[in-house]
Amino acid sequence: MTIEKIHADVLIIGMGGAGQLAALNAFDADPSLKILIVCKALKGKGGCTRMVQGGFNAVLNDDDSHEMHLMDTLKGGQYINDQDLAKTLVEQATPTIKEMETLYGCFFDRNPNGTIHQKAFAGQSFDRTVHKGDLTGIEIISRTTEQIMKRRIPVLEEHRALDLLTDAQGRQVVGALLLNMRNGAFVQVQARATLVATGGGPTQYRFHAPGPEKSVDGLGMLYRSGVRMRDMEMVQFHPTGMIIPGSVVAGALLEEGLRGCGAYMLNGNGERFMANYDPARMERTTRDVMSRSSYLEMQAGRACAEGGVHIVAAHLGPEFVEKNFPGMAARCRQFKYDLARGKVPVSPTAHYVMGGAQIDKDCHTTLERLFVAGEDAGGVHGANRLGGNGVCDSCVFGRQAGKSIARFLTAERGAVPHPDAARVAELCARYERPLERSSGERVFVLRDQIRETNWNKVGVTRREQDLSEAIAEFEAIAEACETVSVEGHAAYNMPWQTYIDLLNMIDVSRMVATSAQERKEQRGAHFRIDYPEQNDEQYLFNVTLTRGADGRPAIVRQPVAFVHKSLAECQQYSKRPPKVNK
Amino acid sequence: MATSAHQRRVIQVFRYDPTRGGDGHYDRFEMDVAHPNSTTMLDILIRIQREQDPSVAFRYACRVNMCGSCGMVINGREGLACKTNVCDLPPDRDITLRPLNHFPVVKDLVVDMTPFFKKYEDAMPFFSPRTIEPEPAVIPPDARERQDIGLATECIQCGCCVSSCSMVNYHDGYAGPAALNRAFTLLADSREGRNAERLRAVLQSCYNCRTEFNCTEVCPKELSPTRAIKYIQRLALKHLGELSRPAGMTNATEEPAPPVAVVPFEPVLQHAGCVAGACSVAAAGGLPDDPSRRQFFRRVIMGIGAASALGVGGLLATAAVGPTLTKTPGRWIPISPMDDLAPAQVSTVTMRYEVTSGFHKETVVKPVMICRRADVNNMVVFNTTCTHLGCTVRWDAGKNIYVCACHGGQFDHEGRVIAGPPPRPLDTYRFKVENGCLMVEVV
Repeated sequence: MTIEKIHADVLIIGMGGAGQLAALNAFDADPSLKILIVCKALKGKGGCTRMVQGGFNAVLNDDDSHEMHLMDTLKGGQYINDQDLAKTLVEQATPTIKEMETLYGCFFDRNPNGTIHQKAFAGQSFDRTVHKGDLTGIEIISRTTEQIMKRRIPVLEEHRALDLLTDAQGRQVVGALLLNMRNGAFVQVQARATLVATGGGPTQYRFHAPGPEKSVDGLGMLYRSGVRMRDMEMVQFHPTGMIIPGSVVAGALLEEGLRGCGAYMLNGNGERFMANYDPARMERTTRDVMSRSSYLEMQAGRACAEGGVHIVAAHLGPEFVEKNFPGMAARCRQFKYDLARGKVPVSPTAHYVMGGAQIDKDCHTTLERLFVAGEDAGGVHGANRLGGNGVCDSCVFGRQAGKSIARFLTAERGAVPHPDAARVAELCARYERPLERSSGERVFVLRDQIRETNWNKVGVTRREQDLSEAIAEFEAIAEACETVSVEGHAAYNMPWQTYIDLLNMIDVSRMVATSAQERKEQRGAHFRIDYPEQNDEQYLFNVTLTRGADGRPAIVRQPVAFVHKSLAECQQYSKRPPKVNK
Repeated sequence: MATSAHQRRVIQVFRYDPTRGGDGHYDRFEMDVAHPNSTTMLDILIRIQREQDPSVAFRYACRVNMCGSCGMVINGREGLACKTNVCDLPPDRDITLRPLNHFPVVKDLVVDMTPFFKKYEDAMPFFSPRTIEPEPAVIPPDARERQDIGLATECIQCGCCVSSCSMVNYHDGYAGPAALNRAFTLLADSREGRNAERLRAVLQSCYNCRTEFNCTEVCPKELSPTRAIKYIQRLALKHLGELSRPAGMTNATEEPAPPVAVVPFEPVLQHAGCVAGACSVAAAGGLPDDPSRRQFFRRVIMGIGAASALGVGGLLATAAVGPTLTKTPGRWIPISPMDDLAPAQVSTVTMRYEVTSGFHKETVVKPVMICRRADVNNMVVFNTTCTHLGCTVRWDAGKNIYVCACHGGQFDHEGRVIAGPPPRPLDTYRFKVENGCLMVEVV
């Protein structure tokens, strides 16, 4: 079999905020670099940056400080963040957001005096979320995509990366095997540096916020490449995913700014149940607490008729809601809910993977020539990500990665080893197998199974027995995958793509459940019903893992390094009275 | 949530198999829809794929109207599959889904968007700062430029506008509505540094627009590319002097802007009063704060009638504004041999002439009405442009009056207003007879 081979200096997998900022910064540092971007969707249309509603946390006001933003981030992450990464995030957020305006032409919402407006988000000691209405992502990604066009950086659209390719020893990443989704052909890219920036997107749960084309591909291929991963038990559930019967839109978000502005959450009995869970902060509590509280209400039989809880913003005034949240109001209206005047049924929805590849602040990983940025990397957010720190992470670390890759390639002049041809042939054959079977398991059924297992057993709340059962079920699904049959030709074959998505979901589910077994406590987004208390005596470590010889995760605990802020400082900060809505 | 009745629907889906080629065909699917209020076309397609035919291909990503991947033609009208619910479509009709127009089909409902992005890139859609500033610009939200731009930067490049446009297919060089909309948002942006170059790159395209409002009508984000195109035309008018200089076109990747391009482009609407068609907007005090398409429609639709009657796109060529733009002297255009014009009657004859203004060349085709009295040397040549909003007036021989179909304006045989809104009599042309041929003077 002959497959197309491409050589590049820099291979960037993913075209959301992280991938684009990496490409722009690498290009601007050295325009002679041959950069290739690969994305699963059309140019600039995939990824979660585009779907960002709320905004981008950055310190711009003299009354705010990087110190406060860092402490908010560590408090949100329940102290297990990589402090170097968190510090880089808050310090570089300021120049990054400014460049968005001055270099790339974004125009964010303004104060009446013409300076950038910053709004309130949950879990923050200062209103620091930069935004464009309530659909901020469109502004960011449209403008950066145009900058990619301006620099004529080539983009392979509707190409997905299947696996990273390594040298024979498995120490260096030398490129990736791609699939052209339009015609079903494999493409091999050999690159001097590879950046994985596909974005996480935990769509392996029944309710999920990211678009369904996000399928934890990057995390799956990173795991299979043998890189060290961390904090994989930490999956964020956003508290307000819309409940929409019969629609794939179910799980899509109503943004956090609503609660930031004072929206209430009511259970099926019409009670503001947050009074029982976090009376000090009420609905302006962090996402982990809010989601868990809603979920526990639902489990306790106090769900609303639609099966979730209600978010109510009507008391803020219909005009206020329509003016400040036009995108959210329109999204509700499409499904015949009235956000401005009525109540909307919502459920916690799988939103973000805090875990990912272990990186340093220049996005290096444990493998040579491999860089990771954005949601595919772990450590920035610890056990829980603050609203507004997500797109901030993607853009800041994409920018870091671009600069870092350019520096690496200036210093590094050695030849890239060739990918192992036998390995490439083996991978191609394996991925094509479902197309060759005339009968077998149906991929959509298996994907439903993994979503249900994850939702029920590795979801908002977890317990030992459920996790063990889930791991067994994942293995059964993996085995069933070996007999999946997909009809038709390889060109634009959506069930075949779903099959490949599913392989990634299985690997990520394995990592999440195994890591969740390791952490027998409550911390941030991770909640063990059987160990419901946070335990700072025993669990101030990060769960890290690599892929073991048997394909299962091999876990290593690493103590948290309190390099910038001590545990005492973090705990002290957590006791400060929270900012609440009047 | 409002519950809606269960429906049984028939869905006709366009099918094209790239491995077989051919013209494609429609496949018919039937399904029960339990929740028509909350089931989108995207849900319908996903169900077809899962329950009936896994080979059906369509494209989507975000599923919440933010990425513009699932544009298609739904019951004959462009829209996003994720934004069109079953309850939005008449219950007694089949639902028909086909790919966007004007793009090569990859498979079934999936089109190749390369031509779209090619034109988008040609319109220089990328920001190029006038100067590299350390801090974001201080621009109040109620500044004129931000009000003009409004929500137009929220385009998601779904291609619906291009599919709906009846002109893109006839003009290879036509950038199309989405690209021009983006160009407009930069042309209006005081931070942008390469606008002279951009204006040169897109202006010619704007004259391909025939102001049919199809793009505005179908835009899922409720933007108005039509408004953007008209904005660019008015801006060009304002900067005609700079534009008619030799263009210092540069490589699109070069930066910063060449010296010739340093022209302070200001928001244009308040200066647009001289332009036919746009005047009603400008006179009304500029666009409203939120120039959404409906508000825009209400305020501008009247004005557009005038523009079209004057030969839309030929605004540089209109007799009314011509003299203010150029020093071109009046020209004598032959109309008709005198022998063909019956005495004591009104004849309508089409006049045709070419006009050049700046770098723009246009052929004007326009009827004139020659009222020849019984006394053959007593004659008036009327301009057919209604003095109200510029529609074309015709002669009604039965009633012996000139009538305008748009708003019911009526003029007597001398051109005097006898009914309706026209503010003044019909305009007339100077004329002469040379060698038995009637000539009229145009300027």
